[in-house]
Amino acid sequence: MSTDPQLLELLELIKTSGIQSKPIRAVDLAVKLGCSKNNVEKLLETALKEGLIKYVDDVFRLTDMGQMEVQKHREHYIHDKHVHKPGFLGRITRFVEGSIEDRRSHWRHRHGLDENSLRGFYMNIRDLEGRVEETSSLIDLRQGEKGVVAFALGGHGLVRRLAEMGLTPGTEVTVLRSAPFRGPIEISVRGVSLALGRGVASKVFVKRTNREAN
Amino acid sequence: MKSKQSITVALAGNANVGKSAIFNQLTGLNQIIGNWPGKTVERAEGKLHFGGYTIKVLDLPGIYSMSTFSMEEIVARDYIAIERPDIIVNIVDASALERNLYFTIQLLELQLPVVMALNQIDFAAKRGIEIDVDSLSKILEIPVVPTIAITGVGIKELLSTVIDVVEGKIESSATKVQYGKEIEENLERLEYTVKERLPQLSARYPARWIATKLLERDEDIAHKVRESEGGAEVLAFADEIINRIEKVHGEPSSIVIASERYGTASRIAREVTRIISPPRVTFEDRLSAVTAHRVLGYPILAAVVATMFSIIFVAGDFLVSVLESLFEEMLVPIASTLLSQVLPPTFVEVIAGGFLSGIGAGLAIVLPYIVPFYILLAILEDSGYLPRAAFLMDNLMHKIGLHGKAFIPLLLGYGCNVPACVGCRIMETDRERFLAGFVAVLIPCAARTVVILGLVGRYVGLHIALALYLFDLVLVFALGRLAYRVLPGEPVGLIMEMPPYRMPSLLVVMKKTWVRTKDFIYIAFPLIIVGSIILQFLMSSGLIWPIAESMSPLMSGWLGLPNLSGIPLIFGVLRKELTLILLAELAGTTNFEQVLTSVQMIVFALVTMIYIPCIATVAALAREFGWKRAVGVSVVDISLALIIGGVAYRVISFMV
Repeated sequence: MSTDPQLLELLELIKTSGIQSKPIRAVDLAVKLGCSKNNVEKLLETALKEGLIKYVDDVFRLTDMGQMEVQKHREHYIHDKHVHKPGFLGRITRFVEGSIEDRRSHWRHRHGLDENSLRGFYMNIRDLEGRVEETSSLIDLRQGEKGVVAFALGGHGLVRRLAEMGLTPGTEVTVLRSAPFRGPIEISVRGVSLALGRGVASKVFVKRTNREAN
Repeated sequence: MKSKQSITVALAGNANVGKSAIFNQLTGLNQIIGNWPGKTVERAEGKLHFGGYTIKVLDLPGIYSMSTFSMEEIVARDYIAIERPDIIVNIVDASALERNLYFTIQLLELQLPVVMALNQIDFAAKRGIEIDVDSLSKILEIPVVPTIAITGVGIKELLSTVIDVVEGKIESSATKVQYGKEIEENLERLEYTVKERLPQLSARYPARWIATKLLERDEDIAHKVRESEGGAEVLAFADEIINRIEKVHGEPSSIVIASERYGTASRIAREVTRIISPPRVTFEDRLSAVTAHRVLGYPILAAVVATMFSIIFVAGDFLVSVLESLFEEMLVPIASTLLSQVLPPTFVEVIAGGFLSGIGAGLAIVLPYIVPFYILLAILEDSGYLPRAAFLMDNLMHKIGLHGKAFIPLLLGYGCNVPACVGCRIMETDRERFLAGFVAVLIPCAARTVVILGLVGRYVGLHIALALYLFDLVLVFALGRLAYRVLPGEPVGLIMEMPPYRMPSLLVVMKKTWVRTKDFIYIAFPLIIVGSIILQFLMSSGLIWPIAESMSPLMSGWLGLPNLSGIPLIFGVLRKELTLILLAELAGTTNFEQVLTSVQMIVFALVTMIYIPCIATVAALAREFGWKRAVGVSVVDISLALIIGGVAYRVISFMV
């Protein structure tokens, strides 16, 4: 069981380099992780020992096990941080759920995802570039903030509807304003203003492109 | 030479692109508004003569895309795909080209001749956007005509282009849109299989379109394929292809296809659009920011609603007094004098008192409130304010399991419940529509307001009348929540376009009002008249008294009202304000203090407010949701009124 956040981050970095097919060296990893080369080497050693990564043709790659580890981490992260609301109530429902044995059936029965959208979700997090911690739900963006759509998590109908309204992966959106009392938000996408209910917006995951509000 | 050839033109486009303005420019008042067969989706049709042709114009409902999400979309796409009009005029908002082209691409996939009306070029220019019409036409290989629908610019050119295309003088080849290489190869293979295996289905729809829909996992088309002979194999093959696409792209195939279409749309839009001046904040933008503001938005909304209802009540009051005196003092007495020369008195009473008074009631009471209401509604609609109101109210509406758009029918309900029922069509699913309709008919309409203010407001106190309104709101929320729990199905979230503000055109507003008023007359008048005749007959024949007698345990025993108040309540089914008029007639005075105590007045107003909406509303409910549900709602409302009335009688008596 790998719970070391630094190790996970290392795996995420290697994964992204794999998706972008840009080989990554130990030095780059050290810069990105913000730690010494020594530490990185130690981390890489652990990862190699546990069979999470492999070293072929002078390039670090994830093994199948490493892939699974990242996938699992991303799934857990999205579930714990975003699907359950961050507030007190969210923590309680998360607590009540306890540890989950069968993830797939949990998504299906507790969060109402059908087989199709579940498959879409797994594909989405598999191909996500960068760390999963960098994605946030659209409702977490403040007024004036911009983001790029990563994926939408929900029933097939909703995901497709959103895509047809222009919210396809890779599209830039700007949050124009939000209604008070956790009301809907208004966004600008492809030159059109769109109002999204809170529930809908919380299912759209984006990567922030500018952190400065306004 | 043939002089009377006819062409069918279908107008198609996204919502809020000025489609109805173009329709009105084309057809004038010469239009028929009805419903699509079996669906409660408005179907507008008109005719015009141009260049020796009779042109039938059909306004398809405003849609976002060609996939089945709401009824409007199924209706529009089935019409295009199956009935195949001679030509489609695709109306496109020049200020949001990319978004509109997404729909255009889907239209082209249906392989019919298309002419594009590039509308609102003035508005685009104001935003500093210039569009190269020629290169847009060249890229899409369809004719493009720039228009400004509100003022009629470009309408003649649009018509002559349509005729040129039909006559074959101009090409509108409706070329297929190419997808990325990977998708394109798979699509072609699937298209081939569809053509091969499903000859019948591909005679009705273009094979390539079926193939695209299958890759998008469109349930409606998948169902049609499954039903056809050999469909199972085609579906299996489609699944295989979908899996392959999803493996390569790492995205559900429907999203891959949507992305590709948007990719194409955005590439074309970039190629033909020139930003001539940097985008600046326009007056409309500022207005939008203020009216949807998290703090300022609410007082503005309250002011808009208050202004609207003040205007309606002032205008309505004036018209009512004029029309009513015309009917009651002139027409009915004259008609009964004339009729009594030839008919026995009972018949005269039935005809004069029932038939004529029925028409009078409709014309003199209902229309004066409804016409100003429709005018103001059309102005609010066309200006683009309603989506802002829905945006602000979304949160509150979620409390009763609906989303912000439901605010619009509820607002309509305060004017009249009939348009409120029709207004529920804006909701996406059947469940939401019914839920909205159920709560909308509990909203006290103008007629019920007359009773509440005329009885309680005048004799008991304005604050008690306001308390009744407040109680009604609580009831709406409680029942809405209950229905939301009881009705099966998942709630749908809000996904709504916020169109930019625009100056409404007087002509379009008047036409909309006229069409809606006509629609209202068709539903409501027959019922009001028939109902009036039946009740007048009961009254004249004396049958009403045993009925009133049999109601007395309920009236005096349970509700604590005088026995005679049962009759006004029955008559109130026709129109709620009749309860007050009849009560005055039966009591022989308009000073209600002499016949009712304060508690009785409150109970009477409360029961009137809640028990079934008038007969016209029941008819509207039946038309929108079917008779079974209409009767169900009526039964629920009557029981509720009686229960609440009885409880209120006891509680208030105890407190006083």
